[in-house]
Amino acid sequence: MRRFLHADPTVCVGCRICELVCSLHWEKTLNPKKARIRVRRVDPGLDVVVACRNCDEAWCIEACPEEALRRNQQGIIVVDKAKCKGCSACVEACPFGAIFLNPETGKATKCVACGFCTRFCPVNTLQILTPEELATLKQQKVIRHECASLLDDLRSERHNQGGEA
Amino acid sequence: MSARTRLGGYAGRSLDVDLSKRTCKSVPLRRQFALTYLGGQGFASRLLYDFVGPEVDPLSPGNVLILSTGPFTGTLWPQASRFVVAAKSPLTGIFGEAHSAGHWGPELKFAGFDFIVLHGRAKSPAYLFIDDGKAALLDAKDFWGHNTQETTDMIKEAQGDSTVRVACIGQAGEKLVRFAAVINDYDRAAARSGMGAVAGSKQLKAIAVRGSQDIPVAKPDRYLAVLEELHHKMLGSPFTASRAAYGTTNLVELMQEIGRLPTNNMRSGVFSGYRKISGETIKEKYLVKPRADFACLQRCGRYTLVRTGPYAYCGGGPEYESQAALGSRCGNDNVESVLYGHHLCNLYGLDTISTGATISWAMECWDQGLLKAADTGGVKLNWGNHESIVQLIHLIARREGFGNVLAEGSYRAAEALGRGTEQFVMHSKRQEIAGQEPRAQKSMGLAAATAARGADHLYAFPVLDEVGFDKEIGIRYGKQYLPEIGDRLNPKYKGVMVKENEDFCAVVESLGVCKYGTLIPPVLFYEDVVAAFDVTVGVPLTVADFRRIGERIVNLNRCFNVREGIRRKDDTLPPRLTKVPAPEGPSKGQVVELEQMLDEYYAQRGWHKHEGLPTRNTLHRLGLDDTAKDLARRDITLPAST
Repeated sequence: MRRFLHADPTVCVGCRICELVCSLHWEKTLNPKKARIRVRRVDPGLDVVVACRNCDEAWCIEACPEEALRRNQQGIIVVDKAKCKGCSACVEACPFGAIFLNPETGKATKCVACGFCTRFCPVNTLQILTPEELATLKQQKVIRHECASLLDDLRSERHNQGGEA
Repeated sequence: MSARTRLGGYAGRSLDVDLSKRTCKSVPLRRQFALTYLGGQGFASRLLYDFVGPEVDPLSPGNVLILSTGPFTGTLWPQASRFVVAAKSPLTGIFGEAHSAGHWGPELKFAGFDFIVLHGRAKSPAYLFIDDGKAALLDAKDFWGHNTQETTDMIKEAQGDSTVRVACIGQAGEKLVRFAAVINDYDRAAARSGMGAVAGSKQLKAIAVRGSQDIPVAKPDRYLAVLEELHHKMLGSPFTASRAAYGTTNLVELMQEIGRLPTNNMRSGVFSGYRKISGETIKEKYLVKPRADFACLQRCGRYTLVRTGPYAYCGGGPEYESQAALGSRCGNDNVESVLYGHHLCNLYGLDTISTGATISWAMECWDQGLLKAADTGGVKLNWGNHESIVQLIHLIARREGFGNVLAEGSYRAAEALGRGTEQFVMHSKRQEIAGQEPRAQKSMGLAAATAARGADHLYAFPVLDEVGFDKEIGIRYGKQYLPEIGDRLNPKYKGVMVKENEDFCAVVESLGVCKYGTLIPPVLFYEDVVAAFDVTVGVPLTVADFRRIGERIVNLNRCFNVREGIRRKDDTLPPRLTKVPAPEGPSKGQVVELEQMLDEYYAQRGWHKHEGLPTRNTLHRLGLDDTAKDLARRDITLPAST
């Protein structure tokens, strides 16, 4: 199953520590523009982490004239830096804006779901997930939200019963 | 500087801008300068001393405006987003500075510059655009007259890139309101001492930045391990969860509890309506989510929403100071007007502290019958009149009607009005005292009196005596000063505390990091700075080195002010705080024993206590002989020793 980096935009606070950690981990420097992810602030109130989803139907792979992009055995799309000419066809093809050109080398760079950044997330919202896991997470959130009053009622009922016993 | 010896942490260059001649020059950072003054406030202190003498009017082209980051700005240090804006202050006439966070400072470094120095005055409204090592002055005529939000949006649109970071002024800065702020990233404010007015006087509307360059790390193989340890320390503090939940908004409740919540122009330190403007109320009804500045673990930033009514808005903030200034200080318990007033101040580019304090001064004058409707253009100024507070914010920013009087700040407004209104100005060195009623915490009184930019809680930020930090007090100041130093009502050893804090704060502000995490909660201290500096910058400075740098910066700021005529006579508080006992609450009967604390403070500083002058010995020890010579040349005789 393919995996990708995900963060809840209502929980993310936009500190961009993940960008810094990513650039340190992969490029040994502090430079958010060399990171393989981006955090974008969308008001009112959202902070969105943009990272490659490793789509099953990967337009970036098809778009690359150099065949520099391929999917590895773990289902992650990776860039062959030796082949990449920096034409940015993949940047254009990606519907999520999740592929970037390294400002120094000019070559394509993207999140490979290594998960290194997740351990630095101060609000613990960054996670490497499969689509199934993401769906489960969203279901739980919606259920908690929509059934909040019902759950409260049940809890207080149980509490009352416990009190009488 | 060769590539081999390039310092980590720093961008390595500065930008010298002459607005009159429309030139921008990129200048390499000198290693010696960096390691003597660190960055941020330290850079600004040295540059201001060298460029701006007593002959320069703060609103003339001769003043310089400095924006400076530090070596930790934009790095992984917990809360590493800070930068300073500095100039001679139009509010105080002396050393002026304001600090802000957000994402602008880090972006300046990614664009290749540690700091910017702006000279002169543009012939017509201009903005500076810095794009990856290149800088240009561009036309800002179309943005002039617009608020900070519109200006930010228009510049992003003009550059065709929403990721450009903008620091700008609103109408208040254009109109030279003496407490106008510089606003960056929409809602972060370099608020105090009128830096927005200095920008306005130079016809500088904004500085926009964008960059993709490295902040190099000296020891990348060890860097992450050292910084991750600091992250763990920070996240392990119980304060971090509280900051995330409330930001600083719940300080209203805590300050009420110790009687330190300024109420009705500091007549009192307790406010009966405090619950209505409290952190709990804001969290329950108006908070959308916490927001973090760059590399911030504390996330005290708020994003708030008032859905309907006359005070509907959506945006950043507030924090404690704004709640106190526009709320309790004005006797105002209408929380939506406090939130909206704060938002308006951000849009116009106003310091909420001086805005609220100046309005509360006018309200007390009204209450005392010294101001009448004929003076105020019909605006009624009874305590808690929230409609009038909001109306006055508009009038001040536009310098219309009575707002034009208040736009001068409470000190000058009282000077112009006379009639005994002067006694109600809550200031030191002409800047309004922030949200700390010092009769309830003596160290805050001393801190306000000695701060270089005029009344200020942040220059020393003495907070460990607020309540229950005796262990940390022992570590930071010495166990021999306990228990008195930890007792907020006892003036003893507060000179020790304020001196030590001023030095450490200067280091913190010069590194480009936040006082949260360093001063409160007291998690990160000199040893952590030493460890992080080594792996970031690559120079093994010691704790003693950093202490000396902090002390050097504070002494240099004092020398700037001494050159402007500041002496012990100016290190004062209003008689209300030193002579009139607090009327009610936990600090009932207390006054600020300022003179006793000042004696101790000057002794700690190695300054002569008669006039509060640094001695030649002290300046020599700190490597400031050149500064002592400059003062001597101007016939200011410093004592040789205490």
